[in-house]
Amino acid sequence: MGQCTVSTGTLVGVEVVSVDAEVDVGAGLPAFAIVGLADLAVQEARERVRSAVRSAGFDVPNSRIVVNLAPGPVRKHGTGFDLAIALGLLVATGQLPATIVNECMVIGELSLDGSVRGVPGMLAYALAARDDHRVLLGPADAVGLGHLEGVEYRSLSHLRQLRTGVSARLGRECELRAPSHSVDFGEIAGHEQAKRALLLAAAGGHNVLMVGPPGSGKTMLARRLPTILPPLDARERLETALVHSVAGLNDDAALAGMRPFRAPHHSASIAGLVGGGAPPRPGEASLAHNGVLFLDEMPEFGPAALQALRQPMEDGTVTLVRAEGRLRFPSRFALIGAANPCPCGYRGDRDRTCTCSPGLAARYLTRIGGPLMDRIDLVFDVDRINPSLLFQVAVGPSSDQMRASVLEALERATARRLGPTARLQGVSLLKACRLDSSATRQVEAAARIKHLSGRGITRLLRVSRTVADLEGAERVDSGHIGEALGFRAKEDC
Amino acid sequence: MACREAPRFELALGDSGYPSALAATEFAPKRLFGLGDPRALVTGFAVVGARKATPYGLQAAALFAGWAAGAGYTVVSGGAIGCDQAAHRAALQEGGMTVAVLGCGADVVYPRGAGALLAEIAQHGAVVSEQAWGVHPAPWMFRNRNRIIAGLSAVLLVLEAGLPSGTFVTADYALDAGRDVLVVPGSIFAPECRGANRLLHQGAQPVTDVSELASALLTSLGAPSREAGSQWTLDGKGPAQDAVLGALRTGHLRPDDLARLLSLDIVTVARRVGLLELQGHIVKFPDGRYGATPMR
Repeated sequence: MGQCTVSTGTLVGVEVVSVDAEVDVGAGLPAFAIVGLADLAVQEARERVRSAVRSAGFDVPNSRIVVNLAPGPVRKHGTGFDLAIALGLLVATGQLPATIVNECMVIGELSLDGSVRGVPGMLAYALAARDDHRVLLGPADAVGLGHLEGVEYRSLSHLRQLRTGVSARLGRECELRAPSHSVDFGEIAGHEQAKRALLLAAAGGHNVLMVGPPGSGKTMLARRLPTILPPLDARERLETALVHSVAGLNDDAALAGMRPFRAPHHSASIAGLVGGGAPPRPGEASLAHNGVLFLDEMPEFGPAALQALRQPMEDGTVTLVRAEGRLRFPSRFALIGAANPCPCGYRGDRDRTCTCSPGLAARYLTRIGGPLMDRIDLVFDVDRINPSLLFQVAVGPSSDQMRASVLEALERATARRLGPTARLQGVSLLKACRLDSSATRQVEAAARIKHLSGRGITRLLRVSRTVADLEGAERVDSGHIGEALGFRAKEDC
Repeated sequence: MACREAPRFELALGDSGYPSALAATEFAPKRLFGLGDPRALVTGFAVVGARKATPYGLQAAALFAGWAAGAGYTVVSGGAIGCDQAAHRAALQEGGMTVAVLGCGADVVYPRGAGALLAEIAQHGAVVSEQAWGVHPAPWMFRNRNRIIAGLSAVLLVLEAGLPSGTFVTADYALDAGRDVLVVPGSIFAPECRGANRLLHQGAQPVTDVSELASALLTSLGAPSREAGSQWTLDGKGPAQDAVLGALRTGHLRPDDLARLLSLDIVTVARRVGLLELQGHIVKFPDGRYGATPMR
């Protein structure tokens, strides 16, 4: 009889806390106990481990088996400890040499027949193992992680493999696909103003609200925003893929550099939108990290859920405070909202008459709420395109052409070293705009005539700055401000 | 019931104070309940139009009602959202007399949110109804209300009327009672103007500026008691040779439509639109379209 300690880990947010699985096989009444603040899924490991070990042709001794998951105070959840417990048991009983778990972090769920399955967050475990200078020993289906720089991965598809020898170290060509999108702005006829607005949004990092009747193409336009954003850089790829991995989603697209596009339904709860639950999982705002969060029918979202987005929009991270402590999920996203102009959806439509009372229609968009509208720089209307025009209107620039302009504008914005245009404020905003005297007079006139608030002026100047960036202009002139005036929010009117 | 502080009056058909023009019609109600001053119920100039008015209708209502009130005519309307309220407001702003004819009891605030406006009308004119005090609104009352508007006035101006619409009904009552029916023409493509344009086709008199209204009111209601200002004249001037402004004067358009009609790129149009709006030549409507402001 004997003891063995196997290194493994548990997820806390998007981070991995390393956990030691200490297995003790000793004299006493036959038993199998797991201690160390383990939740129900971990307790169930006993049955999975017992069956899997037997199915693979090993023995489970009729002894007293105690597994301790250390450190004690950390709450452990999930099924990723199965493999570590099984290997610990096999080493402790002398059925396998101790070398098999040396320098390893062991993660995997066992099936009753002894095969090894993946668990959510494999990428997080891989990065933790790398930082710990360990080899990750895990299921064969996560073998793609071996491509990541600095990650050593050993795969095990079935416990039976251990009988024939140590699992092979698998290599694979490291190939990052260039992001390919299935949609393109070139497919959209008309909608010139909307395309222009999304170009500005991409170039300046502005949040956007589209207002238009059902079927006017709001979703179609929003889906194409990721195609004109610059591809993810190496750091962003890992950040985004990590969130997806922890949430149990496929992280291949993010690792290939595709910006995520998340479109939660308007029935989403607060936990669904910004994260939560037990154990806490990332919400849509985090799954959209470095990408686009599209809120269709924005006024129909629960007010509490919508307002919960304010903090991530400000800070770029979601902070969840729970009994176990504070958790942070990254969530830096571009927000695209879409809304009908009124509850029935047809206010201002060419063919159909609106059936809403005038007061109700005017109040509808205010459901989004002032503080959230303050963070939306561009508001524009999307009209249903006249079907007869579909075949007449010249097709506009493709996503590739638009992305090229976005990249140029972003380069100019970065060269200013004042931060993203959509976050400029006060002195740095004025410094960035470098208004000439006629432009200054025009902003003053706009503020006076249109009763712009301070925040309204800030939004106007930010958008003007991006217009100028797209044109390659050093200074913001009155023409740029004229264009930006058309994108201001309704209550700025 | 916000208008409680205004003095109440009740008039029976045959009373000396009962408005004579209304009494002469075959559909005159037996009793009239009102708030404010019963002497305001002189034969007036009625302005009716759609509740879901476009900015065009609202601007026309304000223009014609404002001028008429400034010239000393009493502006009669229905107190409803849209054109009616725009007409009342313009009349009050000019310090003129205005009468609101409600479908519900005269002391019941309907539409909701019109409390302040109705109270002001009761102060500077009258709010009347054939329904007794405290009667809550029901749909059929408004159709009947329309005949009182027609009866209280010698001239009826129709702004925006769809087909079918309450405004169209009012015009029918006015024609039955032998009133002059004037119509502000609208775009032939706009569904909200279809009823108004139908009336024109049927022989109603078009009104395109205040001088035409002035001569119509002169024949039916007599000479104005006050001198209205000159600010009501549409002089047709504005920035010369602006394609965007020219296009917007013919109808309400979105930037996309402008770009296509004028064969300009969207950036040029967007900049021009922004500047024109800032100069006050055009306005952005709640539905995202732009339209020219009255040229004056």
